[in-house]
Amino acid sequence: MDSASVTAFFQTLAQGLLTGGLYALIGTGLSLIFGVMKVINFAHGDFLAIGMFITLALFKAFNIDPYLSLLVVAPAGFALGFLIQRFVLARLGDRLGEGSMLATLGLGLIVSNTLLLTFGAQPQSINVPYATTTFQFAGVQISIPLLVAGLGTLVAIVGLNLLLYRTELGRAIRATAQNPLGAELQGVKTTQIQAIVFGLGVAFAAIAGVLLMPLLYTFPTVGENYTTKAFIVTVLGGLGNLPGAVAGGLVLGVIESLGAFYISNNYRDAYGLIAFLLVLLLRPEGLFGKTVKRV
Amino acid sequence: MPSIAPLISALPLLAALSLGSVGSAQTTIKIGAVTSLSGRFATFGRMQEAGFRVAIEEINAAGGVAGKKLELVLEDDASDTNKALNAAEKLVNLKVPLVIGAYASGITKPLSQYLARVKVPLLVATAVDETITKPGNPYTFRINNQSSVYTRSLIEQLGRMGGMKTAVVLTSNDAFGKSVLNDVTRLLPGAGYQVLSKDTYDKGLTDFRPLLNRYKGQNPDVVIFASYEEDAVALAKQVKETGLAPKVIAGIATGFALPDFLAGAGSTAENYLVTMIWNRDVRYPGARNLYTRLKKALGGNEPSQHAAQSYAAMLAAADAVRRGGTDPEKVRLALTTTRLNTAFGPVTFRSYGGYTNQNAVVGLITQVQNGQFVTVAPATAATGKMIFPRPR
Repeated sequence: MDSASVTAFFQTLAQGLLTGGLYALIGTGLSLIFGVMKVINFAHGDFLAIGMFITLALFKAFNIDPYLSLLVVAPAGFALGFLIQRFVLARLGDRLGEGSMLATLGLGLIVSNTLLLTFGAQPQSINVPYATTTFQFAGVQISIPLLVAGLGTLVAIVGLNLLLYRTELGRAIRATAQNPLGAELQGVKTTQIQAIVFGLGVAFAAIAGVLLMPLLYTFPTVGENYTTKAFIVTVLGGLGNLPGAVAGGLVLGVIESLGAFYISNNYRDAYGLIAFLLVLLLRPEGLFGKTVKRV
Repeated sequence: MPSIAPLISALPLLAALSLGSVGSAQTTIKIGAVTSLSGRFATFGRMQEAGFRVAIEEINAAGGVAGKKLELVLEDDASDTNKALNAAEKLVNLKVPLVIGAYASGITKPLSQYLARVKVPLLVATAVDETITKPGNPYTFRINNQSSVYTRSLIEQLGRMGGMKTAVVLTSNDAFGKSVLNDVTRLLPGAGYQVLSKDTYDKGLTDFRPLLNRYKGQNPDVVIFASYEEDAVALAKQVKETGLAPKVIAGIATGFALPDFLAGAGSTAENYLVTMIWNRDVRYPGARNLYTRLKKALGGNEPSQHAAQSYAAMLAAADAVRRGGTDPEKVRLALTTTRLNTAFGPVTFRSYGGYTNQNAVVGLITQVQNGQFVTVAPATAATGKMIFPRPR
């Protein structure tokens, strides 16, 4: 290998890791919701699309910088998730299992079609001057918005961990995840906690949308692809396992990038799915999950 | 019940209205068109619609065809082949003399096969896949050049510029992209180029970085892309991001030829070469005026070559109906003897070199300069000077 292709390899690896960071952020939201509520959120990618479109709308209407719109998108995502849990999922009662699947699928359809009616079908993007700025490190060229996305992911995930392990609310969330009935008996308002968790999960997806916006174009059904990615990430890491979701995201980003670089670009989405199937077959608890003892 | 009374009193009026519409149907000639007004090709569909409407307005203002006004029956295929076939069937049942459409090659090809089966002429305004007219069929006519003309004009130009030896090609994985990939890899070696990489990508791919990194490692002189709108923007941004810096970056029409590409890609599009057959600065009589009218029809947005092609298609349709009447078979015969000079360029459908009923228009090379497409080749059409090699 000559030096140009070595550099190209490291550049691909670095970009794969940064993209993987974004996958981790998306997967963390999904994993958190599953971990606490045992609900698989099929609308996860559509909530990411909401984040993208709010960013787009704010930019078009008021010329607000995409990163600044985090201040709007994160609370809006939280509120949306909170309300959905309160007014839709919580009302399913005993039918939460299969009901939540259909409910979130339906919510996803409502979201993507509302976006279609409001913004039209054509792909749209934001053109900010720094969208294509880069810096060089040992010949490896790194995109600034991609790096910001990676750092944003890091901040969000560290923040979530501090919340979960350093606060009273976090203790209540963990208690609800472990044993909802027990937590309720100890005075934890589990319905409130579940709404907060769903809000956090949706906020994470929406934040990922904001971070993606300077890098990508958006269209109403952009979320589908990311819902799949979120599933792969969570399964790679182990369902409900937060550090696993982070690792799963990074693994997926790197697998996709290197696969496209060395093998073929055409099977890009297949690499993740192959890894997904292999993990399901060989380590159903996920790459980073605790080994389940078989009886 | 009092609420029924107005309804009953309205009945004769309704009857009169429906009779009225039957009456007007006899005084207009319906021209059927299928394009993508929604879905992923919606931007192109809007361009096509503007072209159709401007042409119809012009024809009707001049008295219509054989004393009757033309009426556009426009069907949306939602960027989907099955919906396009349903739309065409509906138009055939309406007894239109011919159908214009569709936008994408992957949709137009099956459409041409269906319409040939029911013996209704299809006038293709924009789709460029080779196999639509090669071998083609007696019922399919194409205004736009075939994809190999776009690639050939680019490769001839690269030859004239000289001093370059290696190239990479990346196209979308569909009828249009594969057609271009075929043409490019066939024509490049003949022009003395070595093709270092040829790749296709599936729709929905938004991360081209691994591929572009690989190209960067190969350090080619020329990078050739063919893709639809959103991908063209993503490609231009990521080329800049990955630091890929060849002497020439070229886009084969389509997404790269759209004003939306200029808007979305911004400064990253600067100095891209884009092959086209119509631009605002072409020197056909009436072209400037056509540009102004298309822009107005698009609500002030910049028109692309797709709008101009669709305009010419509607003129050719009207001309064929004027000479052949409304019977599809007679319209087909009339199309074979079309001789038109339009603001889009000349329109004649000839059969040559394995192509059937194929129009031939001069291929232009434009370059993005200061956020505008400027025609830089061939010399007879150029209005600006090419910037070469691409500044890093």
